[in-house]
Amino acid sequence: MTATAEELAEGTRLRARKRRQRLMVDAGLLVFCVLMLMPLVFLIGNAFKTPQELLAWPPTIIPQDPTLENFRIALAETSLLRWLGNSIAFALSSTAAIVATSAITGYVMAKFPFRSINVLFFLFLATAVVPFEVYMIPLYFQVRALGLLDSIGGLLIGYLVMSFGIFLIRQNTIHSIPDELIEAARVDGAGELWIFWHIALPLLRGAMGALAVLAFFQAWTAFAWPIVVTSREQHYTVEVGLALFQTGYTVDTGLVSAASTIVLIPSVLVFVLLRRNFVQGVASTGMKE
Amino acid sequence: MLRRRKWMFAVLAVLPTLAIFAWVRLYPIAEMFNLSLRDWDLLSPRRPFIGLENFIDLFDDRLFIAALINTTIIALGVAIITIPSAIVIAALIHSRAGSKLAPFYETAIFVPHVVSLVPAALAWKWIFDSELGPLNAFLGVFGIDPVAWLHNPTLAVLCVIVLCSWQALGYAVIIYLVGFKNLPVSLYEAARLDGASARQSFWFITVPLLKPITLYVSVVILISGFNVYAQPFVLASDTQGSPSHLVRVLVYDMIENSFSNFRIGYASAEAVILLSIVMIITVIQFSILRDRSGR
Amino acid sequence: MNTETTAKRGPAGRARGLLLGSALTASALAAVSATAQEITVLTGYPELEPFYEHVAEGMSAEYPDLVVNIEPISLREHERRVALGLTGGLDDGTVIEFASAGAQRFLEAGLLPAAPEDVAAYVQENFGEFFVDGVSYDGQIYGIPLFRGQSALYYNTEMFEAAGLDGPPTTMEEFTEYADVLTQRDDAGNPTVSGWSLRLSGGGQGIAEKFWINLHQFGGTVLEQTEDGMWRAAYASPEGVAALSQYLDNLYVYNTVTSEMPADAEAFEREQTAMFIRESWVIGDIAQNAPDLPYATSVLPTGSIALSQNLYVMGDGEAADAAWAFAQATTTEDNMIWLLENVGWLPNRSGLDYASVIETTPALDAFVTYPDDYAFFTLPAIGPIAEILTRLADQLTTAYADESLAGDDAAIMALLEEAAEETNEILDREGLLAE
Repeated sequence: MTATAEELAEGTRLRARKRRQRLMVDAGLLVFCVLMLMPLVFLIGNAFKTPQELLAWPPTIIPQDPTLENFRIALAETSLLRWLGNSIAFALSSTAAIVATSAITGYVMAKFPFRSINVLFFLFLATAVVPFEVYMIPLYFQVRALGLLDSIGGLLIGYLVMSFGIFLIRQNTIHSIPDELIEAARVDGAGELWIFWHIALPLLRGAMGALAVLAFFQAWTAFAWPIVVTSREQHYTVEVGLALFQTGYTVDTGLVSAASTIVLIPSVLVFVLLRRNFVQGVASTGMKE
Repeated sequence: MLRRRKWMFAVLAVLPTLAIFAWVRLYPIAEMFNLSLRDWDLLSPRRPFIGLENFIDLFDDRLFIAALINTTIIALGVAIITIPSAIVIAALIHSRAGSKLAPFYETAIFVPHVVSLVPAALAWKWIFDSELGPLNAFLGVFGIDPVAWLHNPTLAVLCVIVLCSWQALGYAVIIYLVGFKNLPVSLYEAARLDGASARQSFWFITVPLLKPITLYVSVVILISGFNVYAQPFVLASDTQGSPSHLVRVLVYDMIENSFSNFRIGYASAEAVILLSIVMIITVIQFSILRDRSGR
Repeated sequence: MNTETTAKRGPAGRARGLLLGSALTASALAAVSATAQEITVLTGYPELEPFYEHVAEGMSAEYPDLVVNIEPISLREHERRVALGLTGGLDDGTVIEFASAGAQRFLEAGLLPAAPEDVAAYVQENFGEFFVDGVSYDGQIYGIPLFRGQSALYYNTEMFEAAGLDGPPTTMEEFTEYADVLTQRDDAGNPTVSGWSLRLSGGGQGIAEKFWINLHQFGGTVLEQTEDGMWRAAYASPEGVAALSQYLDNLYVYNTVTSEMPADAEAFEREQTAMFIRESWVIGDIAQNAPDLPYATSVLPTGSIALSQNLYVMGDGEAADAAWAFAQATTTEDNMIWLLENVGWLPNRSGLDYASVIETTPALDAFVTYPDDYAFFTLPAIGPIAEILTRLADQLTTAYADESLAGDDAAIMALLEEAAEETNEILDREGLLAE
């Protein structure tokens, strides 16, 4: 059976229409993406502007007379680098704590089906819906009692465990580590800890990576907790430092933008490098059962 | 014997996490309930029990009610803006899944979700600036007079909604994209054979199939909306040079009552109410989900 | 806990250790780390940083190994960090700035140590009764009064001349009349340069304080104390109606200002407003940001706010001794004059000779020379003062936005009564309400 000329023409028309449609979708998405990025572009542009140009009307997007002065002041005359250091230390230690506690707990919850363990699991999961801000104030007094206010340790106490992390590792263990594998190791006389360390952990690497990125960004963007726990500026995280940059002062848009730009670099860099982990991590939050 | 050994290991392995959990989560949550029934000024060693008085006072407190209303509007507003646009955008990106541009789309839409909150809010603050901001400059091109975005009480809330939506969108899109990938292709082929248009299959197949995801995303967005704090803090708290209208939200009110007004018990009562709201949202989600699977 | 301040430029709270005495050689540093005494100054006024540095330098002869860390931060955050720090414990030898009213809660809770005897005697001897009272609690002296926030009128002389006005307004009626004449409007009648910049929006208690200053000119007050030492709201009064009416008339009847217009010192410096009421620090701010601005200052019609900022010291031992010595050194005659001259805040110490400073900065005259019957008021030293003012501020913001109130004295009174009821409820809750 051969296609008639008419049918062929119809096919070409359809393909052409499809291509046009695709082009339109691409154009629309591109415009939308540019709009989404626009605020950040503005921010970076402002970082390079002189005070005069910042007062110009209409506002410019690309600086006419770019200057590095704002960056110089941000780096030399403020504690920005110190805050960045604090944020990085806080986010890394929080990530380590969350990954460690989630890995072992999630693994046990998946592979050791005791009733008591299951009860614990639901307890963990149930408190996941309690927003941090709700119990932040009592927690503040606990941190104070330990004398850990104004320290990375104090910040960390709010971010040691993550219910979702336990859930994530548990789901991954169920899906990616067959019971037979563990049983075989047991038959060979391996200890439980050895099995966890040498068999389970390597298989959970992907999930742990995703969790690590999530945990890092959770701590990195924390705001309410650091603003309560830290009260001396050398202990601020970047988020708090930048927010307080602008209260009570004549807002120096150039300086604030330069400081923000410096802060954006690590977060965007980490995101672009670990995008796949991140997307996988976030996506898995949506895959309930 | 083996069972006993396994049990020992399980308990020992879980114990440290459980201890941390009890200490940094269960205890403070319990303590919050305890404090909400007391009158405590942060400085005094006495914390007298006053029953439900804090709660009764709260519902007579203009500022708390204002905070509750603002927060609810923000949470609902963000959900209403974000969810429909996320479905459409995820659908468009999904339709171009194979294209070289897809990773760029994903990144561009997701970056606002990962950049630090405060720098992002500062950028928006400049955009909304009534004197110097590009938004008014842009509207001026169409002959629209400058609008005092951050000064007008209603518009200031809108600005917070826009900022929060901008940040939440990426998250919603990523989750919807997973949903799209899991949709059964065969259903669409059947629909096409039946002569359904693309728009029809979107409305009558995609949207209903994505319902569980929509439910999940909306709960996440609503809950984070009720906890909003950093965005109004930066966008709409007072600053000397450019005072703007204060958008009072629940967490702001809690922190002010705790540390400026020295009313810890009162603030804890606010926290209990915030928790109840979140619980109600979660329970509604679960009951809707159970309804569906029960059928 | 009072008049907030604007800093010049924004490196928010940069902490800096000042090593006093010998040169910064490596060996000196090594020696210092072994014997150095360290004190920390927590300030809510970033523009005071150079002042504290200056004081520290002046102490180097006597305290060669003293390291003074100065930690400036915006005022609201300062209050919070001090509140949290005091309950959580601050290092010995921390010098803390506090307004008299702000220190009250901590004094009541016994969290601030009393001043050593010699310091107390020094305060008695060198400060007026008003300031001594401000640092006293239960008959004991706890701190050193440093400087005060006091308000005066700033006006743009060129704009006044252009409007045919040959001097500042001297009554509150004139304030409105002048504001009307001074306002510059576009073709549609909307103000482009406000005649009188009023504080109309923003968070915090500033709005209520500014309102209080105006109310004071009408002879009213926000809170009044009864004989038994208790308090009650007093602004639901004819004076209160007059003060609030004036705001509303300026906003909606004469159209001299809007809430969106640029306001405060920044607007004045950019010639976007003809006059406004503020503290003396604006003089320094103008010198830095708009040195060519043609302006003058004048006393207010009947009186001003006077908010004393004091220094308190935490802890005991050697570090605390050094900290007290530092706090005391801030109020030497030389340093007080340096403060006025270089920062612009008004020194509290009695018997200072301002002549030389006023010669170079005539605008300061309105702050240190005033009529005999010029009446000062201050914020009551009661725990919930911040909460009371914050809530009043919120009521006022709502009122300022309500055009229908303009000209309706009955409605204004009703609003003030409602607000006063809220104020009294807070006082009642804290056991401070007068019968």
